[in-house]
Amino acid sequence: MPNASVVISPSGNSALRAVSTLADREAGWRLVHHLARFVDSSHVPGVECVIPTYDAVLIEIDPTDVSLDALRTYLAHVIEGLDADLPLTDAPRTFDVPVLYDLDGELDLQDVADAQGLSAAEIVRLHSEPTYIVRCLGAPGGSPMLDGPPFPHPVPRLASPRPHVPQGVVSVAGRQATITPAAAPGGWSLIGRTPLTVLDLETEPFVPYEPGDRIRFRSISRDEYEALRGTRMVAR
Amino acid sequence: MTAGMITFVEAGSTQITDLGRRQGPRYGVPVNGALDQRSARIANILVGNPAGAPLLEMTALDVEFVSDVGILLAVAGADGHLTVDGVTRPWCQPVSVRAGQTVAVRHIQGGLRAYLAVRGSFEVPQLLGSCAPDSVLGFGGRVANGAAISVRRSTAAIFNDHFTSELYCLDVPRASAGFVVDVTDGPDIDDFAGTADRLFEQPYLLTPTSNHIGLRMTGPLPERVAKGEVLSRGVPVGAVEVPPGDELLVLHRGRGVTAGYPVLAVVTSGSLDVLAQARPGQRLRFRRVSATDAAAAARADRVELEALRLRVQSVFSALDALSTATTGRTFS
Repeated sequence: MPNASVVISPSGNSALRAVSTLADREAGWRLVHHLARFVDSSHVPGVECVIPTYDAVLIEIDPTDVSLDALRTYLAHVIEGLDADLPLTDAPRTFDVPVLYDLDGELDLQDVADAQGLSAAEIVRLHSEPTYIVRCLGAPGGSPMLDGPPFPHPVPRLASPRPHVPQGVVSVAGRQATITPAAAPGGWSLIGRTPLTVLDLETEPFVPYEPGDRIRFRSISRDEYEALRGTRMVAR
Repeated sequence: MTAGMITFVEAGSTQITDLGRRQGPRYGVPVNGALDQRSARIANILVGNPAGAPLLEMTALDVEFVSDVGILLAVAGADGHLTVDGVTRPWCQPVSVRAGQTVAVRHIQGGLRAYLAVRGSFEVPQLLGSCAPDSVLGFGGRVANGAAISVRRSTAAIFNDHFTSELYCLDVPRASAGFVVDVTDGPDIDDFAGTADRLFEQPYLLTPTSNHIGLRMTGPLPERVAKGEVLSRGVPVGAVEVPPGDELLVLHRGRGVTAGYPVLAVVTSGSLDVLAQARPGQRLRFRRVSATDAAAAARADRVELEALRLRVQSVFSALDALSTATTGRTFS
């Protein structure tokens, strides 16, 4: 179905993928998140899971309750009524994240620096400079998915993913950055660790930030890392 | 609300799960839940539970538990041998157990997973509306030997003691035999140019590193022709990917919800249940189907399950009437 701002295509027999075609990436990101929220809050019969990301939203359905064609028509109508200029949140919160950067060469910081033609210190400076917007929550465990730091080149994913990446690791890949709230396998380059505890299963939803909130990284010493270990991640 | 407990003498590899954490993916958490959704639905239907009620998922290993309260249970999924106090009872039928009796599920075969539902279900912790274990979050997990789980209601025995047999035999729809995995073309199939059809040329061998997150298979690998870094996007359950290395990866319900690998094909909802029953060493053949045909098959199957639900309700209503007439109390 033609639509000026979004292309909707099947992703198997139980899911549709809607990808923004807006030239303005910020507007495209807002649009797919508004779409996800609308579908979520409308409790559309047959819709099981909604996964908004950077420029796309995946909508998983029970094909016995709704057809992909009917859902596609419905989504096209919904999109026409959405305002891509409306902010996701009126009062974004900012989270300060202390990071013990990998200057001892235990992780991948030096490899990333070499590939970018920069020093490790420059990578740290570029990574801790921006105020990042939480684009979406991703794998594993509600990771805050961010835009990448202003490196000259995209960061390639590791040729062989690590079977175990510990929680609290700060990583980059492509033009993206994140913090890992829970241990899992992963193919991103690891450039530091935060002592903060991000995941708290006693609260719902168990991570403190939402899409539209902000994150700032700050370089800390090993002593500070030890002193802050296990502190919960809270907004300013 | 607790009516009694079942206590595991031998827990095998058992989890308490349901149809999954549907609110999870929005928060970056996989849906998880019963890997063979159809068999889990059948087990719950056979005891009159809602489709999403918590139940036991038993993987490969024998299980034995004692109930301190009368329960009505049903086992569905892979074949196996069910006994109550050593007496063989029917698989895939509602089965009465009296307080103090020992239930054993042994010799799970012809598949990997069996599902055991109890009428009224279990009282278990929930996270975002689901009891499904999440190995990444560290929520839930395997039942330990000696563990006791609350049963939410007791059910008086519906059993003919004179003939030691059930009072009914329900016609339960069977799963399709064989290990053919239906897939539709994935959204990124063009990234694989002409090599995508390799998927259908020869069978693939399931490797032992397979689990609820994904199944790894060896065989002729399609090649990703398009290069460049992909922005993370939502990945559907059933996504067929070609990660670095020499294995094909098929994501199942424990998959991370976002990833940057292109999706070559997507396993249909019905064939995800087939994959849930495949054992390492098994050979699987992929078959291309249209999304329309796959949806039609899913609807036909659901109609069969709804018909089963109606048959079960008829049996329970008739037994209730009989029980009220003869003893003055309802069985339920």
